[in-house]
Amino acid sequence: MSALPIEDIQVNTLIDVPWITLVWNDPINLMTYVTYVFQTYFGYDKPKAEKLMLDVHEKGRAVVSTGSREEMERDVAAMHSYGLWATLQKDV
Amino acid sequence: MFELAIDGKITITLDAGEREVLGQLFDQLAQLLQELGAQETSDPLEIMLGMNGSTQISDDPALARLFPDGYSNDEHASADFRRFTEQDLRQQKIAALSDVRDTLENKQDSTSVNSQQAQSWLKAINDLRLVLGTRLEITQENDFDFDSDDPGVNLYNYLTYLQGTLIDSLS
Repeated sequence: MSALPIEDIQVNTLIDVPWITLVWNDPINLMTYVTYVFQTYFGYDKPKAEKLMLDVHEKGRAVVSTGSREEMERDVAAMHSYGLWATLQKDV
Repeated sequence: MFELAIDGKITITLDAGEREVLGQLFDQLAQLLQELGAQETSDPLEIMLGMNGSTQISDDPALARLFPDGYSNDEHASADFRRFTEQDLRQQKIAALSDVRDTLENKQDSTSVNSQQAQSWLKAINDLRLVLGTRLEITQENDFDFDSDDPGVNLYNYLTYLQGTLIDSLS
């Protein structure tokens, strides 16, 4: 039985590097619409949804959800279905 | 316009002129979605597995806006994501268009919509705004003149108004 380098095990299985869904600012989607989507899809309350929407508007983007790669792919696909400009990436 | 009635139902009020304009816009959106569908592969196995979406973002800026890349800085992952999700996203948009056409086919000035139809209207109007806004070149950089007499701008403003009333009814 060959010894597996412990570093590899840690990298691959123990450290669960989270992924994030980013929503980017755009000049077409309405602020009220973006807030509504964050409330409806993520179930965020209105203050949280509005804060995220303002972050998108003022900072150009906001992290709207965190989780596994598969979960973030689902969230990005859902954001695209609402016409929001969203991408996923590894949290760095 | 959309209104929330006292019984909790959302009422949509559109005159014949509005219904005609919206019908034409929805037809054009359907045509755009068909063009994207024609670019997808026709391999039966890939279709069965729902992975027959294209792998590259569209050259058409409006389609690129409706079907953006999924990953921030990873072309390869974006291509895979598109291959597996584009067809489903396109089908969702087609289904929403079918719902809004059902409403328009009532040919009534005022009619109520159920919650699924309201969601379809919300997404379909937003898709129209995204396509029209992209065509009008509304960008973050330029100072777009929304008071212009341009028919496209008037249409865009009308859709913004319509969507505003719908969001108010839903919130």
